[in-house]
Amino acid sequence: MSRSSLPARIARSPRGALSALFLLGLVLCALLAYWIAPYDYASQNLSLANSPPSAAHWLGTDEFGRDLLSRIIQGARTSLSVSVLSISLSVAVGASLGAAAGYFGGVFDRIVTVIVDLTWSFPEILLALILIAILGPGLHSTAIAIGIAYLAQFTRLTRAQVMTLKNEVFIEASINIGASPARILFCHLLPNAITPVIVAGMLATGDAIVLEATLGFFGLGAQPPLPSWGAMMSSGTAQIFIAPWIIIFPGLVIAATVIAINLFGDALIEALDIRRPLRDG
Amino acid sequence: MTKMKVRGAALALALAGTAISGALSAVVAQEATFVLTARWVGAPTYNPIKATKLNTATTLIYDRLVLQDADQSFHGQLATSWETSADGKQWTFKLKPGVKFHNGEPFNAKTIEWWVPQFKGTENAFTVEAIERVEVIDDLTVRFHMKNPDPNLLSNLASSFMCIPEPKSYQALGDKFGVSEAVGTGPYKLQQFTVGQQTVLVRNDDYAWASDLSKNQGPAKFKKLTFREIAEESTAYLELKTGGADLIVAVPTDFLPRMQADKSIKVVTIPGTELVYMPINTSVEPFTDIKVREATAFAVNQAEIMKSLYGGLGEVADTFLISSLQESKVDPKYKISYDPERSKRLFDEAGWKLGPNGIRVKDGKPLQVKFWAQNGTEFKRLAEVLQAQLKAVGMQADITILDSSTINSQYRKKTDHQLAVRAYLWTNADIVDWFFSAKRLGYPNVSMFNDPEAEKLNDIAMNKSRNWDERVVNFTKYHEYVLSQYPFAPIYQPVQLFAHGKRVTMPEKIRGSGLSSQSIVDIEPVN
Repeated sequence: MSRSSLPARIARSPRGALSALFLLGLVLCALLAYWIAPYDYASQNLSLANSPPSAAHWLGTDEFGRDLLSRIIQGARTSLSVSVLSISLSVAVGASLGAAAGYFGGVFDRIVTVIVDLTWSFPEILLALILIAILGPGLHSTAIAIGIAYLAQFTRLTRAQVMTLKNEVFIEASINIGASPARILFCHLLPNAITPVIVAGMLATGDAIVLEATLGFFGLGAQPPLPSWGAMMSSGTAQIFIAPWIIIFPGLVIAATVIAINLFGDALIEALDIRRPLRDG
Repeated sequence: MTKMKVRGAALALALAGTAISGALSAVVAQEATFVLTARWVGAPTYNPIKATKLNTATTLIYDRLVLQDADQSFHGQLATSWETSADGKQWTFKLKPGVKFHNGEPFNAKTIEWWVPQFKGTENAFTVEAIERVEVIDDLTVRFHMKNPDPNLLSNLASSFMCIPEPKSYQALGDKFGVSEAVGTGPYKLQQFTVGQQTVLVRNDDYAWASDLSKNQGPAKFKKLTFREIAEESTAYLELKTGGADLIVAVPTDFLPRMQADKSIKVVTIPGTELVYMPINTSVEPFTDIKVREATAFAVNQAEIMKSLYGGLGEVADTFLISSLQESKVDPKYKISYDPERSKRLFDEAGWKLGPNGIRVKDGKPLQVKFWAQNGTEFKRLAEVLQAQLKAVGMQADITILDSSTINSQYRKKTDHQLAVRAYLWTNADIVDWFFSAKRLGYPNVSMFNDPEAEKLNDIAMNKSRNWDERVVNFTKYHEYVLSQYPFAPIYQPVQLFAHGKRVTMPEKIRGSGLSSQSIVDIEPVN
């Protein structure tokens, strides 16, 4: 395998390059939403309600006369930040738990496995709904709920990785020279086990965007007037016959984002070549 | 050989299929599905005595003593005639003979004697408050002896809370009455009820005591009626369009142009009995300050809401009562209608100064409030428009959407909400008592309005009026006082719209102030 840099390796496949470009654009939109959105996402203009796409409003307006493009841009901020935040939380907690469970084994491992399997037996959406019912609707609780809903897969993945790694010679060597468990765990095991977890996290971000949109559709995510793609689609259903663009454009953006994340994830897997044993590279 | 067999089986299957679908279409004509939209969704029980929220199906399960027509005239249903003594202290009712409850128990004077005291201690106790005792004269005659004259007695008796349940099962079932079972004398029996989802009714084949408001004097035309509760209006519309429903009770106005353009759907319009308003929780900061309440009330732009959300149909509201009631004719100085300058001035006077981000600030605290709305497109949209209108005068209202079946119990927590958007359907001034009396803090008194002067005027209006004219004067005074304290902001008075598909026809004239049993039994299948 060549030693060229990771971005270069991703960019080698056209799908990887395109999806990376799209995602980069989206992240920029999200970060610079306040500056690049043509209108204030919350300012209503009821006399312009439900107007179709035009030169002034590229994607049309919603039922309150708010500019749809500005709301989609602002919505990118909501959707991306919630999904990235929740998956980061999920990866951080899941990887630590999984690594500890895999390394220490015994009763601790069994407790963690049982709890994780238990949460895995619920569909993510159900688990998230239950958690939001407890925490109350809002952005923070949505992020926490999605984070917990995806915890199981990262815990299990890390645990499996750690369990195969911990019998390797280099770990035995570290134990023999007297390294502390914390050092072995964080300096030797996790760095070697984390790559597939990161990729899984990347792919799960796509699912998290869909889950966030679903929760938003139910009115549980961002509370008005803050837009989220799911909530925009939800209000669009009521206008589907009058102003179909309200539901179509956010829907397209969600679809494109999820596809891009998946393509990028595939490219990442190929570039990192994680299907081969990690240390052979 | 094998092939032959298969073909034979396929043929038999096809034949059976045809037979079944034929049978199905015959059955379909016997059944109808009605959709209850957002405002009707979430009634937790069909116990009329204890309920604070009832839906259209209630009047099909039970009958009332009297019914009220659209022209406000009264017509006997279980009562054949009635008379009142000159001093108003006695009311004598003659009851219809031969009336039976769904479980076979007879309906007679004894039922009424049992029924009236049941209201004691319930939220609906006001309906019979003036009745001292009920005297059974004979099997089919009862006399109410009144503590004080109640000019509103017939109007109360015609309300759906005064539907008459069967005594024995009512006693036996306790709190389950109205949920697991509901026994009345009405044209339909309750077969199945899932709160917030659907109610299945089956025809009472013995029914022969309809009022003179119904053309159909016998059993109802449909064997089975299903009331589905669909809060999402576009879903309800789609159900009607695709044949999943036959009639929508309360069509949202913004669907009107679409429905009128659709040849398979017919829309029926009758005058409204509804008022949409924004209660203000007077018991929590910053609304303990009357100036802040007044400022908030005058920030609501009723005309803009009517024009943009309701297509200009209906009327704006500037008091708490629908404009067809005499008590809504208050002194103009009490009327509440959009005045942004007055609103801003009052906020300034109350010490809430405009901050740098357009939100007012007092003592370092921003003017930020919790704003509740129940699920359903219309309420959500209203909430968002109101949010923007409040923002325009410097108030940040954070919207929380609550499920319609739980929102009332959430209100009972009393201090969790600050503003809300609500609607009520009622055709009597005593609704002011219902929503603003200190006896019902939390819910229905979402405003938590508790004012000694108001209680005094309430008592005069509710209990001291000797005749109708006096009652109008007293209620107008009470209404004016409530308006002067700004525990709410009036918004809008819709018209009533019903839409039905091709499988049913509605009677030409809807009898009563809304769609209830007297006209539902005249809805017919189209063959």
